[in-house]
Amino acid sequence: MELNNSKIKIKAKNLNVYYGKKQALFDINLDINQKEVTALIGPSGCGKSTFIRCINRMNDVIDICKVEGSVEIDGAEINEKNVDVVTLREKVGMVFQKPNPFPKSIYDNIAYGPIIHGAAENKDQMDNIVETSLKKAALWDEVKDRLNEPGTSLSGGQQQRLCIARALSVNPEVILMDEPCSALDPIATAKIEELIDDLKKSYTIVIVTHSMAQAVRVSQKTGFFHLGKIIEVDSTEKIFKNPANKMTQDYITGRFG
Amino acid sequence: MSGTGHTVKSYEEEMQSLNDNLVMMGSLTENQMADAMAAVIKVDKESVDKIVKNDGKINELRTTIDNQITNVLVKRAPMAIDLRITISTMKISHDLERIGDLAKSVAKKVKPLPVDLPDELIGSLRRLGDLVQKQLKDALDAYLNRSKDKAIEIWKKDEQVDDLTNLAMNEVATYLQKDKKNLEMATHLLFVTKNIERAGDHITNIAESLYYLIEGEYLEGARPKGKPVES
Repeated sequence: MELNNSKIKIKAKNLNVYYGKKQALFDINLDINQKEVTALIGPSGCGKSTFIRCINRMNDVIDICKVEGSVEIDGAEINEKNVDVVTLREKVGMVFQKPNPFPKSIYDNIAYGPIIHGAAENKDQMDNIVETSLKKAALWDEVKDRLNEPGTSLSGGQQQRLCIARALSVNPEVILMDEPCSALDPIATAKIEELIDDLKKSYTIVIVTHSMAQAVRVSQKTGFFHLGKIIEVDSTEKIFKNPANKMTQDYITGRFG
Repeated sequence: MSGTGHTVKSYEEEMQSLNDNLVMMGSLTENQMADAMAAVIKVDKESVDKIVKNDGKINELRTTIDNQITNVLVKRAPMAIDLRITISTMKISHDLERIGDLAKSVAKKVKPLPVDLPDELIGSLRRLGDLVQKQLKDALDAYLNRSKDKAIEIWKKDEQVDDLTNLAMNEVATYLQKDKKNLEMATHLLFVTKNIERAGDHITNIAESLYYLIEGEYLEGARPKGKPVES
């Protein structure tokens, strides 16, 4: 369902996911445009988180999870056996519902990924990566004088931006956000949304959210999931002003169930 | 999943009350327009004060609707059809309020008119009044029935309102040319005619708002226009 001339970054084709015998996703076909924000909405258990976890093969870590079908990034299939998942997750970063900084210093939280990927040759280069990542996540000014303090000493909103900075430190192309603001207060939420606005100039972002208002504010394209199926995908404006599908309308207007 | 009411009952009640108030406002406006036209045609000066007074009720309802809409926007952040209903109701209520004002202005012009208004002056005016009242009734029915086709029909029919307005104005102008002493009466009648025509314009606005409510898109293209007044 391509809406404009934007380049497709991620293409899911006939994607089916099973947890044991239970099927969680049914024949998902969804194109995600490059350097845009795509919001995924739908009631709990509808498969939106399962879907984004297919984009960086996070479902691989669940034994009973079976993924069928195709997910392409820049035209290359990511489910091929020879794809290195560490490299894939470097390219496709993820931010979760609850901020989950490592029990390390602010500095080490950011440096962790680049060390694993051998991205810095010396301390100066690493300092530079840490500073740049924190600046991109709009956190630098708040933490530059306390880089050696634990990441967990930060406020919830700062911790979430630290996690975003951590994802950015390995130069990803795609950032997956699974309800990144659900544990944050309105001010911290506004800062993350401002950040998303800024990040979309350089990154492709997929965000799962339960807040309709947030989907309207941050995204250009919205997909509505229900019971593991994608019901409607369209421009965010169309979905929230005049959706084509009655089920979408019932959901976003609070007539569900 | 059902497609019926909102899960939150109070939201459902708020939207229902908004609808009821708009319907009530429409009904009052229809009555005011009918009363104002009847007053002109019969030169019924006694009814004028009542018509002027009744306009207050329409204004009150508009204020009520404005407050209700502010509350819905703040409390519910309406989406999709609810958003379109909210926006359209606000616009339609403002158009109805303006139509009410125009009916009041029409009624006020009755007082200075001579009781023996010549028939040749009111033929087209009467037809214009009938047409605009019919347009208003159709617009309110179309709102109740959510009829897109009717909205388009009303929108296009304003051309006839324009044509009849021109005809009525020409009749007054011709009468005026016969005797300059008719100037004051003619001026009042020209205002009456123009006010009715403007009420017609507000009815086309209502049709446009209704179309947006139903379709989520704006009526496109230029509306047909009547012939200009011949000088």
